[in-house]
Amino acid sequence: MLLKKINIEAMKREDAEIIPPLERRDFLKLGLLITGVFAGGSILSATSIVGKAFASTREFTEQYPYKPHYSMLVHQDRCIDCEVCTTVCAKTNNVPTYGYRTRILEREDRKAVDRSREFIPVLCNQCNTPPCVIGCPTKATYKSATTGIVMMESKKCIGCKTCMAACPYNARYFNEETRAVDKCDFCFNSRLSRGEKLTACAEACPAKARIFGDLSDSGSEVFRTVHNMEKTVWVLRPEAGAKPNVFYTKG
Amino acid sequence: MRMKQVSGLMIMLAVAAMMTVYEGRGVAEDEVVGGGEIIYSKPVKAVLFSHKSHAAMGLDCNACHEKIFPMEALSVQKKADFNMKGLYDKKYCGSCHAKDGMAFASDTQCARCHIGTKGFNKASKQAKK
Repeated sequence: MLLKKINIEAMKREDAEIIPPLERRDFLKLGLLITGVFAGGSILSATSIVGKAFASTREFTEQYPYKPHYSMLVHQDRCIDCEVCTTVCAKTNNVPTYGYRTRILEREDRKAVDRSREFIPVLCNQCNTPPCVIGCPTKATYKSATTGIVMMESKKCIGCKTCMAACPYNARYFNEETRAVDKCDFCFNSRLSRGEKLTACAEACPAKARIFGDLSDSGSEVFRTVHNMEKTVWVLRPEAGAKPNVFYTKG
Repeated sequence: MRMKQVSGLMIMLAVAAMMTVYEGRGVAEDEVVGGGEIIYSKPVKAVLFSHKSHAAMGLDCNACHEKIFPMEALSVQKKADFNMKGLYDKKYCGSCHAKDGMAFASDTQCARCHIGTKGFNKASKQAKK
């Protein structure tokens, strides 16, 4: 679908009051104050009020629903597509050659100044509101209540592939051997549950493009980058509304 | 009489000059610049070195050969210090690709030289054709 280009500067600003108080409060809970309303409420501008709304950063970090709240930060400009991550992932998690738990996307712009190539590592975003979990009819895929990782209980999987269709990130594949859908679990079964601190991909990356950590820990690199106002951090396909836990940055 | 001789000499000189120009052009057109495209696959897949784009900037062969790089293609990737650390220590590509060097620093624009596994596969597919 082609969307019309929006010129936000030229749009008429509406009163923030038209947003219902409950919805405004939802934003406040996230540490955001709605400052502007455009196009009848389909576009909002917001500003961070973390410093004012929360007595301390600690209180703010406690908003994260999981402990540890596992997440990954990807330094997009560091990836060189050496595929060391995908190789160790396949080895660690017995991923067949036709499947994948993580992949590297490539983008090329021949008209670009200097560097014309870009690689984007993608994996399961371990969403807070995972469309795959909502879609699964047998609860074979579920959100772990402690770590927030979207897990698979393969013996419950009936292979209907609803989750594959529901996933906005195309992060799932059907494993022919187990006759079940398989996906990235941040190496929970293969490593984290055995005392390892990092996923196989994050540990193996020679360019430190993948930073794995606990988003609820204010000392972690993931937290410090995601909450750094100087840094631009984004997620993939935010319009899907899945609240992903894999963040991207550059520089 | 004398004028005729002079003009005849001039014509001969002019023809000779034209031939040299023609010959010079012929050589430049036919010559494959250096060793073509070099794709390193160690220690990571894969890095592209383009002789063409480096020569186009006016660098001549002995700017790099054989002080920095031996003539034999890919010979440096057998060396243990042929990695990013080595480059930061101003070895190999880092001789020029450094912060105070003549080209962009080795720790910037990663994917400009790193063409990745996808780039490597594309190049080997093309080579088969």
